[in-house]
Amino acid sequence: MPKSTFIICEKSYIVRKGLISIIEKIPNTQIVQQFDSEDEMKNLSNIESDFIVINPNLLNKETINILQNAGSPAGSEGNSQFISLSEKSEITDINWVEFININDSQNTILTKLKTLIGNKETNESKSKSQDEISKREVDILKNIALGLSNKEIADKLFISTHTVVTHRKNITRKLGIKTVPGLTIYAILNKIININDTE
Amino acid sequence: MLITKNIKMADVIHMNYFTLSVLNRFGIELGFGDKTVVEVCKKANIDVDFFLEIANAFVDKDYFPKKQLQSFSVKLITDYLRKTHYEYHQIKVPEIENLIEDMVKSGYTDKENLVLLKKFFNDYKQELLNHTQREETVVFPYAISIEDAYNSKTLENSVFDLMETYSISIFQNEHENIDEKLFDLKNIIIKYLPKQKKSENCHKLLYELFSLEQDMIDHSRIEDKVFVPKIRDMEKVITKRFAEKKQ
Ligand SMILES: [Fe+2]
Ligand SMILES: [Fe+2]
Repeated sequence: MPKSTFIICEKSYIVRKGLISIIEKIPNTQIVQQFDSEDEMKNLSNIESDFIVINPNLLNKETINILQNAGSPAGSEGNSQFISLSEKSEITDINWVEFININDSQNTILTKLKTLIGNKETNESKSKSQDEISKREVDILKNIALGLSNKEIADKLFISTHTVVTHRKNITRKLGIKTVPGLTIYAILNKIININDTE
Repeated sequence: MLITKNIKMADVIHMNYFTLSVLNRFGIELGFGDKTVVEVCKKANIDVDFFLEIANAFVDKDYFPKKQLQSFSVKLITDYLRKTHYEYHQIKVPEIENLIEDMVKSGYTDKENLVLLKKFFNDYKQELLNHTQREETVVFPYAISIEDAYNSKTLENSVFDLMETYSISIFQNEHENIDEKLFDLKNIIIKYLPKQKKSENCHKLLYELFSLEQDMIDHSRIEDKVFVPKIRDMEKVITKRFAEKKQ
């Protein structure tokens, strides 16, 4: 699952830090940028992010325009989503998905954010299951477990060594197993190879 | 929170009980009452500044005082590394072996699976032993000779010969990751090992694997980021001295 990214626009240092410390409690999130003034926000246009948390007092004609064109990262659907750092906002030019009140408890804020992240993730994962290894990767894994080198696997499957290395990286990332003996155990447990096939 | 000289040693443990293994390596025994860090270290004949940097680096992975750590002697650094090796072999590895054995006894999963796990860990144990033995018999003695030569007023030709046959960059290139297999074992148990009986033994085992892995990451970081550059700097100075002598 790709990371959920955040931009934070807020004048107060204390509020920014507080919010960041809460967001960082949620796994797989990343703060890509912080802005503390309308002026600074001019640089926002070339940064991609899933969520933009912004205090409405930083909104004016210019910043609204910038926000409306803000893009979410490649691979995610649609544009950035906007979270208001105040309970209500008269500004309707922005399509708010959530409101955070300064007096909200940590749990309330966590719940609001997690719900938004959850919705984004279900949208993204409908088509592809990213952590399952592909059929090709199973082939490669089998040969790794049988003790073949990258070069030998490349020759056997008529692909380049570089491709084998890429597959290996993906296998390791998906399974959370880095070493050959570790991958071998995985292969045996999942009946990809037979225990007697090794040595 | 930073560990400082004048806080109580007891509070260091309260802050983060993983520091117990650091204390153990420094030979600090429990029962120090309300004594401060500096008092306890003094009594145990420990360089308090060295203790502080090591302990802080250990508890906070963002705190890594590379320069300060490099200022301590090779003897002090390698002594600490040796004690850590000793603790791995004498305490941590046997503990893990026992816990795997308990899983076998309790019928946690199919016998064949446990045989696999046992073999995996056994091979790893041997690998770890080779790794630390090489450091202790080749690398550390070399480093200490380099430090002696660096501190000496005379320039012995034997050092020149020594540096012809070995150099710290050889170690740097051959120095392997010793924590990766623990990472794998953890994930195999957490994600892939089919189970039949209660998980209790397994939780203890995972706890030990997590803690040893973390410990080794800290250990290797000292070797790669403190020890190696320190020796490399001294090698450079010595090489320069030889060059000047020739002229
Ligand atoms: Fe070591
Ligand atoms: Fe090492």
